[in-house]
Amino acid sequence: MAQTAGAIVEKLPVVAIRDLHKSFGALEVLKGISFTAREGEVISLIGSSGSGKSTLLRCINMLEVPDKGVVAIDGEEIKLRGEAPRRHIGDENQIRRIRSELGMVFQSFNLWAHLTILENVMEAPLIVQKRARPEVEAEARAMLTKVGIGEKADSYPSQLSGGQQQRAAIARALCINPRVMLFDEPTSALDPELEVEVLRVIKILADEGRTMVLVTHDMEFARSVSDRVIFLHQGLIEEEGTPEEVFGATKSARLKQFLNAANHE
Amino acid sequence: MSEDIAFWLSYLTNGKHLTWYASFQFTIFAAVAGGILAVVFGLIGATLKNSRYLPLRLIGTFYSSIVRGVPDVLFFLFFPLAFEQAVEWIWASQVCTPEMIAAQSAAWPPCKAANWILTTPEYLILASVSLGLVYGAFATNVIHGAMRSVPHGQLEAARAYGMSTGQVLWRVQIRQMWVYALPGLSNVWMLIIKATSLLSLLQIADIVLWADRLGAPNFLPAVGLVHDDWRWRYYLVLFVFYILVTLISEKGFNALMRRAGRGMLNEGHH
Repeated sequence: MAQTAGAIVEKLPVVAIRDLHKSFGALEVLKGISFTAREGEVISLIGSSGSGKSTLLRCINMLEVPDKGVVAIDGEEIKLRGEAPRRHIGDENQIRRIRSELGMVFQSFNLWAHLTILENVMEAPLIVQKRARPEVEAEARAMLTKVGIGEKADSYPSQLSGGQQQRAAIARALCINPRVMLFDEPTSALDPELEVEVLRVIKILADEGRTMVLVTHDMEFARSVSDRVIFLHQGLIEEEGTPEEVFGATKSARLKQFLNAANHE
Repeated sequence: MSEDIAFWLSYLTNGKHLTWYASFQFTIFAAVAGGILAVVFGLIGATLKNSRYLPLRLIGTFYSSIVRGVPDVLFFLFFPLAFEQAVEWIWASQVCTPEMIAAQSAAWPPCKAANWILTTPEYLILASVSLGLVYGAFATNVIHGAMRSVPHGQLEAARAYGMSTGQVLWRVQIRQMWVYALPGLSNVWMLIIKATSLLSLLQIADIVLWADRLGAPNFLPAVGLVHDDWRWRYYLVLFVFYILVTLISEKGFNALMRRAGRGMLNEGHH
């Protein structure tokens, strides 16, 4: 959602990333990336496969530890120790606290198969955030209703369609009251007809003013949902701007090529 | 006819037979305690094998690959004796004075005060621990494989939501691995049940020892145990007992499997 023109107060960066580098063996996936996501901003990361967009997203909550560079959430820098390739989490308590406020939605849902949908949504609030069960259960049920699967609370993930599972995963992310929601290609594993129901939920969340970073291959969706779009190419930011700028007045030849290819998919 | 019934009734309820019946509790205790310990040692061993730290990984691997190769009979003889003497040795270093050691004529223990006399309950516990250690090595292998079968993405999700390494292990990986581990663990359980027939090696008057005694020709004529070599009849009773245990175990494992498989086994969709 575009920020209202009347917003005078400079909004705080919720996610700040500076000069991120990451290699897997000899392959350098991220070559120095910086960007910030401000309160309420929706940022889409686009780019061809192998451009490093998923790796970048996974660096935000340190599922991948960058070789170089800084990630800060709400102005708090995530502590890392050591040098690449042995760079690792510096403070387990800090990262757990920060992660407990980042709601991640995975491409392959990754719901816990041994728990019911309701239990999946309640797990992190109860176990990690140590909130009271009655409060968490009420909120979990409300979130499931919000994503349109309230009646599936007592089913197991394996009993749900892919679209329902992904919506349950979104409810799981919502129930931790996240500062930021991270979406890693949330519809790539879904059939086209199931994609729609998930995209609709994400759109609602974007319109609510939630801070979100979204990796997507769906250009139409990126255009409709984002405040800012970042195009990655070979581990670097090739172009970034509002959807109007990036899709309407494309500057980079590579982005033009990429968008052409995406349109002809 | 009724005399026959009366004879068998009094024969089968005489004191020695009652002792035999009571000794079934030793077998059942050793199996259950050994089984639980095997799972506990298996969980510890598998966790060590999965550890990020090389020394821990080596301990886990050493345990599962070496102990599996040791014959259970040998371990049964070795472990309780070694444990007993180790305790006595430590104890002796605390209580034995030089005079007491000089007064001791036997080779072991160093002095009489450090003599630990084991009776059936202690032997039973040592036997259960032995079973647990030997079959825990098998369980380690089974559980280790099962833990690796848990989908990686679900562990990653647990980390992404702020769970600690221990919470990921306990709340996701171990909860989910049962469905992969139970078929293998049911095999380990059957091996443990079979191995309970070795209890008599540890001076425990168990079902096998009593069957042997009661079936022997003219064992204790004074109390009416006069007959030919009836051992095969008594062994047959043991066969039936072990078959019943097998059948019950199978039912039990099926129930466990249903419980562990909730949400994880395909059980009709949408």
